[in-house]
Amino acid sequence: MSTDLARLIAEKLPAPPDPGRLLARLVRRYADRITGRFTLPARAGCYAELPDDLTPALRTALQARGITRLYSHQAQAWESVRRGQHTVVVTPTASGKTLCYTLPVVDAAIRSRAKALYLFPTKALAQDQVAELLELNRAGGLGLRAHTFDGDTPGDARQAIRLHGDIVVSNPDMLHQGMLPHHTKWAQFFENLRYVVIDEIHSYRGVFGSHLANVLRRLGRICAFYGVSPTFILCSATIGNPREHAQALIGQPVQAITESGAPCGEKHVLLWNPPVVNADLGLRASARSQVTRIARAAIRARLKALVFAPSRLMVEVLTKYLKDVFDHDPRKPARIHAYRGGYLPTERRRTEQLMRAGQIDGLVSTSALELGVDIGALDLVLLQGYPGSIAATWQRFGRAGRRQQAAIGVLVASSQPLDQYIVQHPDFFLSASPEQARIAPDQPLILLDHIRCAAFELPFADTDRFGGIEPEAYLQVLAESDVVHREGRRWEWIADAYPANAVNLRSVADGNFVVVDRSDGQQRIIAEVDYSSAALTLYEGAIHMIQSTPYQVEKLDWEGRKAFVTRTQVDYYTDAIDYTRLKVLERFDGVRAAAGSANLGEVHVVRRVAGYKKIRYYTHENIGYGPVNLPDQELHTTALWWQLPQDALDQAFASRQDALDGFLGAAAVLHTVASVRVMAEARDLMKSVGSGDAGAFVERDPQGRGRWRGDDQALEAECFTPTVYLYDNYPGGVGLSDPLFRVQAELVRDAQALISACACRGGCPACVGPVLAPAGDASVTPKAQAARVLQLLYSA
Amino acid sequence: MSALAEKLRQLRTQAGLVPAADSPSRAGVAPSAGAPPAASAREHLRRLLDLRPARALSRQPLRHELPLLGESVATGVYAMERCYPASAMTPLLPPRWPDGAPVARERFLLFDTETTGLAGGSGTRAFMLGAADWCEGFLRVRQLYLTAMAGEAAMLALFASWLRPDTVLVSYNGRSYDAPLLRTRYCLQRMPDPLQGRTHVDLLHPVRRRYRGCWENCRLATIERRLLRIVREDDLPGSEAPAAWRSFLREGRTTALMRVLEHNRQDVVTLARLLEHLDEGALPLLD
Repeated sequence: MSTDLARLIAEKLPAPPDPGRLLARLVRRYADRITGRFTLPARAGCYAELPDDLTPALRTALQARGITRLYSHQAQAWESVRRGQHTVVVTPTASGKTLCYTLPVVDAAIRSRAKALYLFPTKALAQDQVAELLELNRAGGLGLRAHTFDGDTPGDARQAIRLHGDIVVSNPDMLHQGMLPHHTKWAQFFENLRYVVIDEIHSYRGVFGSHLANVLRRLGRICAFYGVSPTFILCSATIGNPREHAQALIGQPVQAITESGAPCGEKHVLLWNPPVVNADLGLRASARSQVTRIARAAIRARLKALVFAPSRLMVEVLTKYLKDVFDHDPRKPARIHAYRGGYLPTERRRTEQLMRAGQIDGLVSTSALELGVDIGALDLVLLQGYPGSIAATWQRFGRAGRRQQAAIGVLVASSQPLDQYIVQHPDFFLSASPEQARIAPDQPLILLDHIRCAAFELPFADTDRFGGIEPEAYLQVLAESDVVHREGRRWEWIADAYPANAVNLRSVADGNFVVVDRSDGQQRIIAEVDYSSAALTLYEGAIHMIQSTPYQVEKLDWEGRKAFVTRTQVDYYTDAIDYTRLKVLERFDGVRAAAGSANLGEVHVVRRVAGYKKIRYYTHENIGYGPVNLPDQELHTTALWWQLPQDALDQAFASRQDALDGFLGAAAVLHTVASVRVMAEARDLMKSVGSGDAGAFVERDPQGRGRWRGDDQALEAECFTPTVYLYDNYPGGVGLSDPLFRVQAELVRDAQALISACACRGGCPACVGPVLAPAGDASVTPKAQAARVLQLLYSA
Repeated sequence: MSALAEKLRQLRTQAGLVPAADSPSRAGVAPSAGAPPAASAREHLRRLLDLRPARALSRQPLRHELPLLGESVATGVYAMERCYPASAMTPLLPPRWPDGAPVARERFLLFDTETTGLAGGSGTRAFMLGAADWCEGFLRVRQLYLTAMAGEAAMLALFASWLRPDTVLVSYNGRSYDAPLLRTRYCLQRMPDPLQGRTHVDLLHPVRRRYRGCWENCRLATIERRLLRIVREDDLPGSEAPAAWRSFLREGRTTALMRVLEHNRQDVVTLARLLEHLDEGALPLLD
């Protein structure tokens, strides 16, 4: 009787959520859209006992938190750190990386009141970390004092933290501007500093990473002054060169732990190409429509889904579409949430908490969730569009997964050539190794900045080195401008200035915009938008969405960094029309490059928002335009560029279109070899193809072919001088162009070698950039045209 | 080293080399090595570094510079001492003194520093220290100043030797400014901070409490003029002290530095007058 009842109840109950069933259904119904399918096998956990030499109080606290054994990588990290080795731990998301540094740090704090400094790239991660430490502290009554120390720390708390904090959790910017220049106030802390923990080191690449490496050199000087040499514990998501990158950051040998002992369930990866909707034009359905469809299916199957959208705007659009389906009853708590930069920190914290508690079914996010914010376990991760790197793709997929159950990751390709290339070459995707993180800590201008800051903190003696550098030449430059003064064998700071305030590690300009809601006759700040995206999202007339509630921007106070909005009811959203142009201000130097020339100079890069489109929801028809009148986003920087005279072009190419394709391809290859040469992040060095007179620029059309775009329509004019520009994406220049100019001939030679070594037929993302359906004759493919351009620029 | 110098030289030449736009390409011609950087190149570098605009490089010959006052007491340190007849030698009761019992005058040390700037942090130093105390019927003003960076340790040690275990420090905004700054300097010289743990009366706070809103502000110069009716002649504003010291250090100019010395001397004398004025033993309490 009772068993019958139990059976009856069981039958009535819905089946437990099962990603496997959704997977089977997707594979069955959409076989033609799935271009690649991989299964990463489940991995059993590999465990180790809690170390014998763990201090008993900590052992008790861990046990109270339910931790009775360690994963193997945690035990390895303990061993390595105990031997005093700098250690980097590289394991997937949710594999218990935190414990790798918590154990030695807390153990040392309990035993000998040794201090530790934690650095996280964002304040949010720092707060997560302190919350976790405090829970452990409570569980064991450890008497541990862990605090965040950042721009939000109230003045009266700072003194106490400096004197009494065991674990100070901060960020690189605060170390640079707040702690090192005031190191004497931190004397007690530094005298007892045993560990420095740097998490998420994969995010310290390029300019930011180069700055951090120099901040750590300054930290090294301060530590030497107080007679300590702390052990570094670093953590990273999967990148191609974790050990090398960690060593470049801290300038010392590092032990790498790369084998995760955490168990993980099976993971299925699908590469998804939207169906062709117009075979004649080769048009595919949008990635957005596919993502919405898959997310709907997953949430209906009661799976927890996370969607990565390519932009903040798309986050809002997708959130609205999912809310229209799942959140139509306003009396119930929302099942769909959006998460992106620009929301107030408190709102993001709340979303994270709800997600951890399992109260959100669908979360739509930008790349903001790539970092280790703890949001709990998920069944499905959906990527709208290829994130641009293999490493970032796996990082996002890493968000899906539970210990025991299968999880699904789906990459939905957009119509961008690079996306199309990835989904049409699944083997390439599967076998490609993750990108390497690169920094250039000896970049002269960055060095000069930090030697200036370092001289403020402690005088330089003649024999002092800075990292591997002899700083004398820099100090001479600083002495010329009365910043330091040489006396005897020392260089002393004499200026009346606080140099760290003039050096921004993240090279972000000019402060955030606040969004002020005036709907109810009062003024309420509802969001923040960073400077770089303000022009694209806060122009007057823009529909600015917050958690998919539309607000219309009525007034933008550019100088005051404020946008005034009111709630509105419209059936469209707005999308900015912007373009970038580049103008040569001054040519410093030029050399002959075979038939053409290579040049070095100062350029002015302008990004202008010319207007916006109104796009109706669901139909996506364009229902109107609006003008935008905003100051241009300007960047004054250095660049090198190659040009060919018109007669050389006319001889070598059958048509201008061919030459254009060639320049576009040559730019892609030159950019690649140049980035490798100066060990720069791709985003620090930018490329552009334009006309020589800055009148027009070339963009890539959906087929991967070149297309002019510009202000004036006189593009067919007789003057035709396509130009490849490589420029420093850093105000004032980050000093990449100058060394590149000096090796320009080698760059052209390497670019040629790269093209001829590439096995593709007509061009691919690995060489001249993605090209779809190359034309029949191999001699006129974009790849061949690019080789021709390079040929004209190189004489052996 | 040479590679590095080369890089920097390149950075400078960058802005200096401006070939005419229509000149033939200068194939194979490296920027001329060793050429002195043009003034515009330095400007360019400065702009990149976000420094202040270049100081006028008019290093005129030194003329009519005053001799340094005082005597050299250690390498890089000059000392100066003057005494003035004391108005009285009675004990004084500073505002809000804990036990309400007047304090012997001899215990007070009134001090003020002149610093290389207001930026704060470990790069700001005191290049001059002035202190007044009462002894044997006189108000004695002793001052120390640096003539070289190397004198800092000696100057700090001398100042520390002026403090006795029962010294009561008196300053104007010294608890928030001078004392923390000196603590940083002692720390950097690896010396114990002699101000640590000493009683320190900061007259800014009682002055604020009593005279807030009476005059335009509560700066020492204002209080001195309005409350004590002291008029200074030819005073060098305190804000010009950092520049005066730098111009001494870099160019050997002494005139402005000697004006800073005089300014500092008057400041500590005023501090003594202010302490007497606020003496709660003598003053009938307002209201």
